[in-house]
Amino acid sequence: MTKWREPYSYDYAPYAGRPKIEWPNGARVAFWVAPNIEFYEMMPPPSPTREVWYRPEPDIINYSMRDYGNRVGFDRMADVMAKYGVRGSVSLNVAVCDHFPEIIERCCELEWELFSHGIYNTRYLYNMTEDQQREIIRQSRETIKRASGQDLDGWLSPAISNGETTQDLLAEEGIKYTLDLFHDDQPMPVKTRSTNRLVSVPYMMECNDVPVLNFKNISPRNYLEIIKNHFDRLYAEGEESGTVMCVPLHPYLIGQPHRLHILDEALKYVTGHDKVWLATGREIAAHFEAHYYDRFTAWMQPFTAEAQA
Amino acid sequence: MSLIPDSYFDYPLRRKGMDHDRYAARYLRDVPSFQWQGGKTLLVWACVHLEHFPMDMPASPVKPIGGMDRPYPSVWDYSTRDYGNRVGIERLFRVLDKHGVKATAAMNAALAPRYPHLMDEVLKRGWEVAAAGVDMGHLHHSRLSVEEERALVGEAFSTLRAASGQAVTGWHSPAHSQSAVTPDLVAEAGAKYICDWINDDLPYAFHTPAGDLTQLPLSYDLSDHKILGLQNMPIGDYEYQLDAAFDVLLDESRTRGGRILSLSLSPWIIAQPGRIDALDRLLGRFLKADGVASATGEEIRSQWQGLGIA
Repeated sequence: MTKWREPYSYDYAPYAGRPKIEWPNGARVAFWVAPNIEFYEMMPPPSPTREVWYRPEPDIINYSMRDYGNRVGFDRMADVMAKYGVRGSVSLNVAVCDHFPEIIERCCELEWELFSHGIYNTRYLYNMTEDQQREIIRQSRETIKRASGQDLDGWLSPAISNGETTQDLLAEEGIKYTLDLFHDDQPMPVKTRSTNRLVSVPYMMECNDVPVLNFKNISPRNYLEIIKNHFDRLYAEGEESGTVMCVPLHPYLIGQPHRLHILDEALKYVTGHDKVWLATGREIAAHFEAHYYDRFTAWMQPFTAEAQA
Repeated sequence: MSLIPDSYFDYPLRRKGMDHDRYAARYLRDVPSFQWQGGKTLLVWACVHLEHFPMDMPASPVKPIGGMDRPYPSVWDYSTRDYGNRVGIERLFRVLDKHGVKATAAMNAALAPRYPHLMDEVLKRGWEVAAAGVDMGHLHHSRLSVEEERALVGEAFSTLRAASGQAVTGWHSPAHSQSAVTPDLVAEAGAKYICDWINDDLPYAFHTPAGDLTQLPLSYDLSDHKILGLQNMPIGDYEYQLDAAFDVLLDESRTRGGRILSLSLSPWIIAQPGRIDALDRLLGRFLKADGVASATGEEIRSQWQGLGIA
């Protein structure tokens, strides 16, 4: 099989000289929080591409570490977010709707958005046919509708395990925005084979608690500094043209007692600024699609033509 | 042809609750408010890991937490770990004695005959002895046969019961590693609690064919092994995180109901000369606060049992 040399989901487009994005009420930054509410199966079927667990199954330390988020961490996190009036846009393994309906009920009470992060975090899109991926997308839509009444608008591939044409399939299936691309600090049109529009919304790995706390082993106090610095720069640049700031979180990490204060202090800091739009992923994508999608596409024409030449 | 079979899209365990039958789903927010004995709200549980890392220990299929970092024969790694049983533990005894803390010694059974002095000092202080397998070279995982594993569990309990004279009701699987049947074997051997799953801040019932065990919360994220050993953070970050955890748990213990703060301590890590003072400061602060007391694992288990909470 020939491997693709790039994702082909976007053409090069510099940060400078873009059409100016204006967020509602003159905000400089669209700020959103993405809690990843996940279910890792204890004994998942094997994946041909990657080992699911790190130890022979049952890998109880790693399974139970993640289970903590649903038993304990979620409510702590939700309490802090509610205190600052920050809604979540949930990156949801949709099987949670069946396993823990009480969690979904609370998300709905808090008027959080639910979008799909696959069925389980232990089921990757790797090696799936397009039809199999469509099945996951459709099942996500049905499950979220059944559990919450919400439409499925957003997508983050489970464990960020996309196939080459996943973005095309998302557009064809009517998904409005994707979080799989980490190429920008502003929303962008995504290039797909579909005539349906797909918008990429920034989802920031730099501020994501898993890479920061688990992969890079950064101390919580430095994590707070990372979030504040990230916000300060985007807030400053947002005067020129609106930016997006996302804090992706996992209740099993941020909901631990020794880390909860990071969320509290980060939200206190961000909500202490007046030119911030506290938005959901869906709202950011919709605002961009309605006001800027066409202008960005037109502005990008020369770059697109260059790429095709 | 897809590499993913159709059966991949069947989800037989997609149902309300867990995808196994070991314990029920429970949200911490739903646990009824309670206080520990004597009107205490927060119990500090010091769990001291007394570990023996044989120099020829296997590195697979599970590398133990804190296992050898260098190729055999690593005298460096061996003696660094053994330092804890000679020097570190003495420093830890002094600090815990100073704050009146009776700990649980989660002990590799191999240490009982090797270092009887260590056992004497533990018993003299009235600490609880819990079984932590045979040694760090014998982890529990699903590639062992049930017979092999039953022998390890049996050896650990019988050695430690004989050497301590205690009932030995607690089990900590070395490196928080279990096979699919470890809890069953441990329950058969007469254990009453385990502390290997890191999914809760309060105890819960853990089902086995030999009866329910109590699963006690022993934080791995707040262990010296993880913060200082694995994550290589300076001691200031250990102290900072333990302080932060204490603040949240103490507050919840007063507003939501009883809580536990576990300290998972290894003498070869936390009791290095440049680190031990941080533990001293932490314990000083914790135990001065209203409503805080220290307790052993078995004391916590028995108090929890008495509360009758599911």
